[in-house]
Amino acid sequence: MVCRLGNIVVLVKASLNPEVVRQNPDGTFDIDYTPLKISDVDRNALEEAARLRQVFGGKVYSVTVLTWGPLRAREKDLRLAVQEALAKVADEAFVVADESIIPGDYTVTANVIAAVIKKMGLNPSLILAGEVSIDESTYQIPGRVATKLGLPYVGYVKRIREVRGDRLVVERDLEDYIEVLEVPLPAVLSVTQEVNEPRPPTLIQIRMASRKPIHMLTLKDLGLDVKRQRSILDMRVVTVSRKQVLIEEASMEKAALKLVEHLEKEGVLRF
Amino acid sequence: MGNVIVVSQRPSDAGELVGLARSIGDPVIVAFQDSAERVEELLSYGCRVYRVKSSRPEVLARATSTLYNELKPKLIVGPNTRNVKDAMAWVAGLHDIHMAPDVAGVRVEPDGIIYKRGFLSERVVMTVKAPYPAIILVNPRVAEPAPRGGVGELIELNVGDTMVRVLEVKAKELSGVNLEAAEIIVGVGRGFKAKEDLSMAFELAKLLGGQVGGTRPIAADLKWLPEDAWIGISGKRVAPKLYIAIGVSGAPQHMSGVSGSKVIVAVNKDKSAPIFKQADYGVVADLYKFIPVLIDVLKRRRGST
Repeated sequence: MVCRLGNIVVLVKASLNPEVVRQNPDGTFDIDYTPLKISDVDRNALEEAARLRQVFGGKVYSVTVLTWGPLRAREKDLRLAVQEALAKVADEAFVVADESIIPGDYTVTANVIAAVIKKMGLNPSLILAGEVSIDESTYQIPGRVATKLGLPYVGYVKRIREVRGDRLVVERDLEDYIEVLEVPLPAVLSVTQEVNEPRPPTLIQIRMASRKPIHMLTLKDLGLDVKRQRSILDMRVVTVSRKQVLIEEASMEKAALKLVEHLEKEGVLRF
Repeated sequence: MGNVIVVSQRPSDAGELVGLARSIGDPVIVAFQDSAERVEELLSYGCRVYRVKSSRPEVLARATSTLYNELKPKLIVGPNTRNVKDAMAWVAGLHDIHMAPDVAGVRVEPDGIIYKRGFLSERVVMTVKAPYPAIILVNPRVAEPAPRGGVGELIELNVGDTMVRVLEVKAKELSGVNLEAAEIIVGVGRGFKAKEDLSMAFELAKLLGGQVGGTRPIAADLKWLPEDAWIGISGKRVAPKLYIAIGVSGAPQHMSGVSGSKVIVAVNKDKSAPIFKQADYGVVADLYKFIPVLIDVLKRRRGST
């Protein structure tokens, strides 16, 4: 049986890279020089879209909203993230880069994503996103987008079990229990890293991606006027003040004795 | 002053949340557990308690949203459980209001709330101001628990059916260990080659009076430990006096969960592992050779005193 369920939209974020945190001399976070990369869990969402695209039979679109500036300096990182989506599965990419929505604001970002989906006529049967972004980690954009589009939403999906007519059967990983749910389409799902094992795109896929369209949009194109709620007052790098004492001994016995001595002095071991 | 909605998932979370809510306005509680004891505890904070039938995010979201329209609260506060995070994302979207989870500090201002939260795997702390109304989900120990002994009022809140249908509910396999309260934690990572080998970590933990937790690959992927023993950004955040990381590389997603530890020890055979830069004491050794000797040394010390 071949179903024709329609298009899939995948939300892809170019996140600040937590492994390359840059610091200004005064201890504040140097946001301008901290690079962006595709948010890890979004790779699982893309992989799931690749798995489902046969069943859905429609197009796959990626939607990205740039939330960190400076706009000009982000072009390369942004392109890399979007091209991964295109190489992996997307037929076309939609990117909103606009000075007026930098730095991001959760309410604004969700409204912008919903506007892209509506105004660009993407008409999705399924919207997939990672449960969380690696920079802000607030777990809220997919749920917010669902309310803007008036669609059902299921977060923390650890498995998409099957397509049953125009419904999906999914497993949701909640705090103390797992639910098996039947969700009517169209719907918004956020997936966890357990949902699949993302494979990197192949060389052929990467080469093909360069021919796929990337639609660059501004708020003007979307006819949107937004009001930011959040003011970021300060961003400070947490200084790790660990002692970093290395114990290197050929004798395990000596190493163990040294460690125990240190820990006793720290007052964290009691005999 | 104004109304504050307190969303509660567990018996242990309500006290501090009501305490925080009182410093801002008049709290009402939304809760969803049915035991009589639990309801009695919630009522003892002396405010109205709205009880909903289910802890499902859709139900909680609809209930909170209904109360939001009725009470026009200044703030919604809640704990950082998956159910509450998910439900509040929906409420925030529906009403176009600011929301922040994992909040580590709060200051109330006349025209908005100022809060601090970790950012980029806790490597950066962000201070944000957001106007009322807003939703903030706070970490444990951010606020002082409210006193009990009041008389509250219980109201049943029924919300309509949702579009999502539940076919089955499966309980999770949990260890029941409360890592957040542990004073000593032995953390295990991919340096362990087989599940059976974790017995070394358990023996060490037992000897020290501690508990065992693990990284994402160990607890979530390989399932060598129950999921509630997972330490890191999507797992538990812990703050023991002593954290002993064995065969843990030191990925930011894991280290953000242990940043509150007083002393961090790392055992890893790879001298260039990032964990050594984030540890107080680093032992460069093969864990399979070192841990049995360490256990032996500790046993001897214990025997001699």
